[in-house]
Amino acid sequence: MGLSKVEQRIKQKERVQELGAAAVARRLVKPHIDSFDYFVEHGLQQSALGIRPIELFQSATNCRLRIWIERPSISPPLKDDRDKTQFLDQRLRPLECRQSGITYKGQFSADICYQWNDQAVMRFSTSFGQVPVMVKSSICHLRGADRNKLIACKEEASEAGGYFICNGNERIIRMLLVTKRNHVVAIRRNSYKNRGPAYTDIACLIRCVRPDQSSVTVRVYYMQYGGATLAFSYRRQEFLIPVGIILKALSHTQDREIFELLSSIYDENNSGKRGAVGTQLVVQRAQIILEEVRRVGLFTRLQCLEYIGERFRAILEGVEDQPAAAVGERVIEDHIFVHLETSLDKFHLLIFMLQKLFAVADHTAAPDNVDAIQHQEILLPGHVLTMYAKDRMQDWLGKVRRVLAKELEDKPNEFDLQDVKKVQKLMDKVPSTSIGKRFEYLLNTGNLASKHSLELMQVGSCSESTGYTIVAERLNYLRYISHFRSVHRGAYFQSLRTTTVRKLLPESWGFLCPVHTPDGTPCGLLNHLTVSCEITSDMEANGVLRDYLSMRKEIVSVLSSYGMVSVSPGLAHCAPPSHVPVLLDGRVVGYVEASRIVSVVMGIRLLKVLRSSDIPADLEVAYVPCTFAGPYPGLFLSIGPARMVRPVKQLFGEQSVEMIGPLEQVYMDISCPDGIDNGWEDVSPTHMEISPMAMLSIVAGLTPWSDHNQSPRNMYQCQMGKQTMGFPAQTIQYRADNKLYRLQTPQTPLARTLRHTEYHMDEFPTGTNAIVAVLSYTGYDMEDAMIINKSSMERGLCHGQIYKTETIDLSRLNKKADGFNNKFARHTQLMYHSHAKFLDIDGLPYVGQRLKGDDPYCSVLNTMTGRAKVFKVKNSETAVVDYVAAVGTGPKEPLQKVTIRLRQERNPVIGDKFSSRHGQKGICSQLWPDIDMPFSHVTGMRPDIIINPHAFPSRMTIGMLLESMAAKGGALEGKFVDATPFKYNLSSSSDRDSVAREQKGGTLIDEYGDILRAHGFNYHGTEVMYSGVFGTELVCEIFIGVVYYQRLRHMVSDKFQVRSRGPVNPVTQQPVKGRSAGGGIRFGEMERDSLLAHGAAYLLHDRMHTCSDYHIGSVCSNCGSLIAPMAVSQAKAGHTHLLAVGAKRNKEVCRYCNSGKWIEKVAMPFAFRYLTSELAAMNVKLNLKVSDELRNT
Amino acid sequence: MDGGMAPPPPEPVSYLCGDCGADNSLKPGDVIQCRECGYRILYKKRTRRIVQYEAR
Repeated sequence: MGLSKVEQRIKQKERVQELGAAAVARRLVKPHIDSFDYFVEHGLQQSALGIRPIELFQSATNCRLRIWIERPSISPPLKDDRDKTQFLDQRLRPLECRQSGITYKGQFSADICYQWNDQAVMRFSTSFGQVPVMVKSSICHLRGADRNKLIACKEEASEAGGYFICNGNERIIRMLLVTKRNHVVAIRRNSYKNRGPAYTDIACLIRCVRPDQSSVTVRVYYMQYGGATLAFSYRRQEFLIPVGIILKALSHTQDREIFELLSSIYDENNSGKRGAVGTQLVVQRAQIILEEVRRVGLFTRLQCLEYIGERFRAILEGVEDQPAAAVGERVIEDHIFVHLETSLDKFHLLIFMLQKLFAVADHTAAPDNVDAIQHQEILLPGHVLTMYAKDRMQDWLGKVRRVLAKELEDKPNEFDLQDVKKVQKLMDKVPSTSIGKRFEYLLNTGNLASKHSLELMQVGSCSESTGYTIVAERLNYLRYISHFRSVHRGAYFQSLRTTTVRKLLPESWGFLCPVHTPDGTPCGLLNHLTVSCEITSDMEANGVLRDYLSMRKEIVSVLSSYGMVSVSPGLAHCAPPSHVPVLLDGRVVGYVEASRIVSVVMGIRLLKVLRSSDIPADLEVAYVPCTFAGPYPGLFLSIGPARMVRPVKQLFGEQSVEMIGPLEQVYMDISCPDGIDNGWEDVSPTHMEISPMAMLSIVAGLTPWSDHNQSPRNMYQCQMGKQTMGFPAQTIQYRADNKLYRLQTPQTPLARTLRHTEYHMDEFPTGTNAIVAVLSYTGYDMEDAMIINKSSMERGLCHGQIYKTETIDLSRLNKKADGFNNKFARHTQLMYHSHAKFLDIDGLPYVGQRLKGDDPYCSVLNTMTGRAKVFKVKNSETAVVDYVAAVGTGPKEPLQKVTIRLRQERNPVIGDKFSSRHGQKGICSQLWPDIDMPFSHVTGMRPDIIINPHAFPSRMTIGMLLESMAAKGGALEGKFVDATPFKYNLSSSSDRDSVAREQKGGTLIDEYGDILRAHGFNYHGTEVMYSGVFGTELVCEIFIGVVYYQRLRHMVSDKFQVRSRGPVNPVTQQPVKGRSAGGGIRFGEMERDSLLAHGAAYLLHDRMHTCSDYHIGSVCSNCGSLIAPMAVSQAKAGHTHLLAVGAKRNKEVCRYCNSGKWIEKVAMPFAFRYLTSELAAMNVKLNLKVSDELRNT
Repeated sequence: MDGGMAPPPPEPVSYLCGDCGADNSLKPGDVIQCRECGYRILYKKRTRRIVQYEAR
């Protein structure tokens, strides 16, 4: 206790900072990093194991060759050392990649194994090219680096990684929502009727996932005649098999057992009871299914397998010489319920699916909503890569097989399969390094191209899935971190007409933020994970792969000890409502008596949170109770990866924190401490939320008093918070992003939520505390415009810069031009003399040099032509050269690549966009002189910003009013104000603040009003003010306080578009479109209509004609042709001497009439002349009647 | 080289190493690599000329 209080406080502060931003950020990007680690350390190996070896057979030599891939691995990124010299450090670091615009990638290699006729295996290590590496993953050089090391590496102190660096850009693989793995859902979909005759809209489906993360979806369709058909997809084709055949092929049973199992859900004693799922129809259906098989003439398991095998022999690859039964076995092994190993397990799962299917068909169970998060999980970046790796390696092996097989066929005598050299030489025809390139392509474009279906149809569009990767923009920290927390539903749904997938469902409470979704096209499809939501990983915290097998064993043994009836004895008549089926990761493990199920679930939950038990803490215990025609009952347990989980407090046992999943959450009784008793009258909750803030994402959690705002306003703030200019990175001077926004004078908000502190937002502030007065002054604050105090602006309010980085790569230029003759140099010719002012001898600008529009900043000299390509600053974009980096591309190469960063000053001007944190955006309409601003009676202060009172009534952003008052009080007291939403609703009376408030007996306003009053201000936050212009007292008191204002990135300097003359379209002579091309804004037909309606003829003529394609054409009034008149040079016509410049040189002659005397000049739109020529081209002549009639009348 | 004026003797331009910070004077056509540590990103030095900003 030697430390003084101050010392203690400092220490505590340090500790918070240590743990601080880095740890928090790491937690937020954890799903990305964990899944990539899984990909590198386990997924690759598993995908190699999942690929079947290819086999080739040469009958001449009686030689059988097996080839397969083993031990794939990716090594940490290394520098490109073609010269193998010089570098002391071979490691390639992320900084270097960003700066020089290259990809952060590591070597992907694997052993290719050859085995001839069961002899010893030969292995050769082969390179598969280079694969991009995730920053801060287990093979990244920055892994485990602490704050100091990161700073030494010129990285962000709180760098958390989770992204890839592709060509210098930071890209991430976005998380996608997919159907939950190994989980049976029943759905009704009209398109199922189109599968063929007798198909209904009812189906049961399960997405089965192999250990290598590849998946096969199995559907069981209900048929009109009462039967069912099983379907799976292989190579984008759906195969349909009557379910009876599969049932019989899966196990050695009699029809009797199948019949009993199928019809076990029907018991006449139970009809009408709660949870009775079977009807008498089930019995008939079981008969129909068995009858169907009998009619085909299949009686034994072998017959069924052969039947399947014969039909699939032509479709599968590499099974040509195998017996039919083996092919049938392989179909079942590779395509039906691939998550299960034994066929008995598959048999019981199929029985369960049929029971559920029949229940849904009989309306005794409700179909599931696949759009609800309870039936979904997340497709993690590492899993996408694992799947892709398997797909690519399989594809490569397949190609190798085809090449070798073709050689065997074409040159059966010359080619010897036993010759390693020859085999390898042939294999070189299929370049193995292309695999790495495909990975780079995937990351660069986000397109996942695959010939084999990756079962991701629902994710992307039909032929090629797109939208897998996005750029992690560092506009500000909020936007950056939101990329990592975003979850997309898939590009396919974006084009869908129906809006059901976009709906906000109550199921997603606590997992997906209801506030943080964009408006517009991606609304409801692009969601964000809440702060407390975590994704289960394949690995334990220590990086060891989870042992699912032993976990499952443990869970089953615990269940058995609770009295679970095992599924295996067969004829036990176990079904709802007396018994509830138990499924563990898509495997039917047994049945539990319905009367005991609640205590069983409770028991597992207690074991789950117990540290000493072997049951994983993130086990999902979803007990779907027996209901009348509700969801099909059962106890669904899952321990797999990629599930969303979140913490809640148990209200039994030791009140420990339990991780729950979205499926179980639906059936749990969780109370929320939000101050209201949400109808918990007859039910007592078993769990409690830790905080009502659990439902918000990071960005939404930063809005102060968001519980007092109208909900769309909070959504707007989530959007605008991500468009704010702020302090994007602490390493701003080392960054080479294409565009970087920076606020010169950021501040920390006075009114802040707990999240602000928790997530160290002070490391990346995004706004300024401004004195905001709400009054109508000068009229310049109408319609969401706002007035900024000019002197405040000049003092630095909202000052900012934009950094733009340009990379000039000569090797790219060379590709376009011929040869390699370009070099960076200033041109020495006299006509380029003016460039010397801006360009150094090396063709690059002087650092610190100010450049105006059209000034050159880089010059590339072509030594062959002697011409220079000069890069110029765009017009109206004054910039300063911030840095110039020369990037060495290789040994013995002169300068090939430079990155030049230009800095543009962007201090607030009229037309820039600002916003408070409550969805109240506005445009600066005036920079009003300080002396003319209204001033306060008490303090004499002038506001920084004036906004209009009309911004409030319809928008109801009470949070902003609260912020204004509270922050004002906070500024007076020198304290930050806690603006956490729901804080004052918390029912727990232990909350000291709320007790204090209760004693004062008032509301939030009372608390802050009292502070204001204590400092001599008005209780309601208003002040008497005087007009700055007249010096008279304003009639009413003005609400004035401190509001945190954000400067949005939309600035007039980037948007204004003016044109009087400029580039025109060469065909029509009309102005081109587009701001960057210097074009005009379209004056369209509706605008034309309004001018017509006003009778504004002159204006109309000016807009549509004079400012557009005004043209004076020559018409021959004799023949009426617009095309025939032609300019004939006078020299040709006989005049020999040169006339003075400007004099009439050419004479127009009608080629048709062969005379110039009827030529008349007529004003017309050029488009008319174009029309005439087009008509002439299709043999239509246009006759113009030219006369003076109109002029004379 | 090309037509026009005779090329003046190439004057070296000063660069700073992005890793060790060493001063490197490079003539046009030199390999872009730090002489001290072999790092391949070099930054141009700030100009010695007078740069005047608007003080408003």
